[in-house]
Amino acid sequence: MTKYIIRRVLQALPVLLGITIVVYGILLAAPGGPTARFANNPRVTAEDREAFKKAWGLDQPIPVQYCRWLGACNPEVDGVVLGVIPTPAAFIGPNGWPHFLPQGLSGATNGVLHGDFGVSIDTGEKVSTRIVRAALPTLILAGLAFLLWIAMAILIGVNAAIRRYSVFDQAATVFAYVGYAMPTFWLGIMLIFLFSGPGLNILPSSGITTTRLSPPFGSDAYWLYFGKQPVAALVDIGRHLILPVFTLIVVNIAGDSRFVRASMIEALGQDYVRTAKAKGLPGRVVTFKHALRNALLPVVTNIGLEIPFLFTGAIVTETIFAWPGIGRLTIDATRGFDYPTLMGVLLITALLTVLANLLADIAYAVVDPRIRY
Amino acid sequence: MSQHLNQAVTELATAEVERRVEEAGADYEVTLESLNQWQLAWRKFRRHRLALIGLGILAGLLLVAIVGPVIAPFEFNRVPKPDVIAPNGRPPSIQHLFGETGGLQRDVLQLVVNGARTSLTIGFSSMLIGVVIGTFVGSLAGYLGGFVDNVLMRIVDVMLSLPILFVILVASRFFGNGNVILIIIIFGVFSWMGISRLVRSLFLSIREREFVEAARAVGVSDRRIIFRHILPNAISPIVVAASLLVAANIIAEAFVSFLGFGVNPIYPTWGNILSNALTFISRGNWWWPLFPGLAIILTVLAVNFIGDGLRDALDPRSRA
Repeated sequence: MTKYIIRRVLQALPVLLGITIVVYGILLAAPGGPTARFANNPRVTAEDREAFKKAWGLDQPIPVQYCRWLGACNPEVDGVVLGVIPTPAAFIGPNGWPHFLPQGLSGATNGVLHGDFGVSIDTGEKVSTRIVRAALPTLILAGLAFLLWIAMAILIGVNAAIRRYSVFDQAATVFAYVGYAMPTFWLGIMLIFLFSGPGLNILPSSGITTTRLSPPFGSDAYWLYFGKQPVAALVDIGRHLILPVFTLIVVNIAGDSRFVRASMIEALGQDYVRTAKAKGLPGRVVTFKHALRNALLPVVTNIGLEIPFLFTGAIVTETIFAWPGIGRLTIDATRGFDYPTLMGVLLITALLTVLANLLADIAYAVVDPRIRY
Repeated sequence: MSQHLNQAVTELATAEVERRVEEAGADYEVTLESLNQWQLAWRKFRRHRLALIGLGILAGLLLVAIVGPVIAPFEFNRVPKPDVIAPNGRPPSIQHLFGETGGLQRDVLQLVVNGARTSLTIGFSSMLIGVVIGTFVGSLAGYLGGFVDNVLMRIVDVMLSLPILFVILVASRFFGNGNVILIIIIFGVFSWMGISRLVRSLFLSIREREFVEAARAVGVSDRRIIFRHILPNAISPIVVAASLLVAANIIAEAFVSFLGFGVNPIYPTWGNILSNALTFISRGNWWWPLFPGLAIILTVLAVNFIGDGLRDALDPRSRA
């Protein structure tokens, strides 16, 4: 088992390297580049642009820029071989060890390998600071959505499978088809019209907290307020969560409840279920202990593969509901051509996706002893 | 005595009926044999009620997309006269079945009809690009195997590990400039990975079959084997996957345009109509976002039904 996990992790490494190249490549190929934001500014002269490029290392060949961004090259060492490749000296860190090794060994601090995503062009803050600040609201939203999504999908799917062709099953089928065809953002807009429009104004439509009741979420003042009135603060966040969470999970529940249903129906038709029934075990035990546990095996993998959709779903949901998370950060960075922030967000999301796939594979190997590894 | 006779007659009659049924059955078989693969598929597809409904809906939508903007009674790019402006738009009425928008005072029905043209064009064209790239990459990887296969599939791994909607979003912002053609290309270029995996696995199994071996033995060229011998046998699953890709791309386009990075709002798509509607969200004009959203749902439902029908009809294991 340990061997299998190590092998899967090693297999993920080249994929991650490939992802850094693709992410870097897409943004690099974009017309204009990081100086495009100054293109129409009369107060920025051509010399200023050159100085900007020099200060940010943008005058170096692309492989050198990539290598420094990645953290495998020392930014203090200039010079190239064959016109584009960094000199071998650049790969040696300040302590004499290879530059890409952790800071403790190599003494290097630059690049994503050392946790340095650069500085946001928009705000001048460190990108890692912005991402960490936006991570908490997204974790709250996506975490709650994830739990509810799995619980509802299993509940609906299993019930539909047990009472096949019943009214409930048919209703679940219709819900699955329509829910699966529904764009997330449209659902969000319609929910806002329904529950916080001029007619029935009972739920908040934007933000994570009510601004006139508490200091801005995430600030020190907020946590002071939270310490004093935890119940009121939690209730407030909870009220703000209802619409976004619902928006985020409907599509996933629709798809996965069908998947659970199909898997459960297959499990219920297996010989061991008939054997269990023939032994005289109560129906409840057969359904939940024999059939359900086996039916959930493929569901585990499927859900692992769908975790990334939580992030993409979060982009839209956070935009509609003005939720101050990673999704909004992405949109703001995309609008403002904020390269370092965008690369940071893309890279972290891709990393989480690879991690989710890895966990799904390992979880599958754990729950299904028949898997060879 | 008469009882015996009766029994004998009954037996004879039964035998005769059985013989005729057998004959008829044989007859039926003969007509079946003379149908080609697509006629057989259509025969099965026809029995799938939802798929037929889906086909009808999609045909209707295509018709609307093609002739709708031409016969629409309102001038699309007019400037509203000051005396007819209602800042919040107007709810559905007899003149404006889907209501009027706020701002430019457009007829929502006409917006949706014009949007159908752009959205469906993007959905189908980007699917075509994706299928062509995916089939090409998949057949190369599956047929050649070895090093080429390894390199291509690692590229697919990387692309599939990227949150692809993020990438499409960023690419549309940086390269798209609201241009429909560029958006179509971007969507095509980032949606071929699933198809290529599928095609590769099909090629891996089909290339081991006897008829491919026979073709190779008589000296048929690789290109001819790929296009004439293997690809036609792999076409059914590709068609099913392609139909689902249309639905995925229509939703993805709506997503990107909704966020304001997709098609320029002078060409209405269902996504950017919704995007405009969101800015008027506090005014309570529900008819503005409702109808474009319903159009998306209807289209995706229809395409998914057709996909289901195709899957049943084209699967050789399901005999109808």
